[in-house]
Amino acid sequence: MQNVVKPFVSTVRGALTYRGREGQLAWFGHRLAGLGTLLFFIIHVIDTSWVFFWPEGYMHAIALYKTPAFLIGELMLGLAVLYHGLNGLRITLMDWRPSLWKYQRQMTWGTFGLTALIYAPVFVIMMGHILQIWPGIEIAAR
Amino acid sequence: MEVTLKVRRFNPEQDEKPYFAEYTLKDVEPVDRVLDLLHHVKWYIDGTLALRRSCAHGICGSDAMRINGVNMLACKALVQNLIKGERGTIQVEPMYGLKVIKDLVVDMEPFFDHYRSVMPFLVNDTIPEGGRERLQTPEQRERFDEGTKCILCAACTTSCPSYWANGTYVGPAAIVQAHRFIFDSRDEAGADRLAVLSEENGVWRCRTIFNCTTACPREIPVTQLIAEVKGEIGRR
Ligand code: FES
Repeated sequence: MQNVVKPFVSTVRGALTYRGREGQLAWFGHRLAGLGTLLFFIIHVIDTSWVFFWPEGYMHAIALYKTPAFLIGELMLGLAVLYHGLNGLRITLMDWRPSLWKYQRQMTWGTFGLTALIYAPVFVIMMGHILQIWPGIEIAAR
Repeated sequence: MEVTLKVRRFNPEQDEKPYFAEYTLKDVEPVDRVLDLLHHVKWYIDGTLALRRSCAHGICGSDAMRINGVNMLACKALVQNLIKGERGTIQVEPMYGLKVIKDLVVDMEPFFDHYRSVMPFLVNDTIPEGGRERLQTPEQRERFDEGTKCILCAACTTSCPSYWANGTYVGPAAIVQAHRFIFDSRDEAGADRLAVLSEENGVWRCRTIFNCTTACPREIPVTQLIAEVKGEIGRR
């Protein structure tokens, strides 16, 4: 446990106190998105296995996923997967063509921008879906 | 100008925890360097302040520290680039990721251990043609020019999140040093260095974050050199 906790704490402390630039921001976001997606995978594998082992539990889980906290989580998951993928492509590209380092700031901002651009319609579609299945949110939003 | 210098201090023989000491300095010139301010504190206010410096001109690499949250050489950090206006605060901390011995002095030994691990010296046991010099074209010399600028200040290595997470990572500085010899046409131990760097704690711990490149006081494109070494491992 020590081997996991210590590096985790020192990295987070460094990331919060060292004033790195775009690259550090992109990396931190990448890690957050990666860990978030991993969390989803773990939950998903467990709840899907319940179809077989504990069907009532599965039905309960499905009902739970229609609550606001999980619907917002679903929105975040979309963003996390998208950003993690695009940023991963940027890093691959930079490692493949080292001379691109001169444009690293622009490319990082480009990745943020592209993520926002692709995510915008996804957000609208998912949000529409959420409002349909859970109209209460509409009231709360007003 | 009036500058409040906040210095993170820690004397393991007295203090339980590090703390920030504040010094108010008057009549600071915009072109004064942070090193000048630290000198002023040490010479006229509190002689117990511990810091390393030698050349005071950005050559020896002994005074890298975290200034306003970013690694730089105190002797190259001008006050006017850190403070806009007539007064302000400058925060000075030791580099992160290496053990603090006292105040701004950190234990550089782990850093130099990584440096030594990549064999930072020319390896060639053959007798050169004519028995005197190992000749090289200007292009061959140019190939590894960037790496020769390194002054081993550790600003890059201690700015690297991968190094914060894991001190066994060889770190950007050692990879830059390896690059300097791997791409030197006169050297013959490139394969040995690449073997060291392709291990678990070698180049693959680099996540292409670019903190090292922005921290380097010698403007070495560190991340580019690391990526070139990654590519070289792939090619061989
Ligand atoms: S004192 Fe030598 S590099 Fe700053």
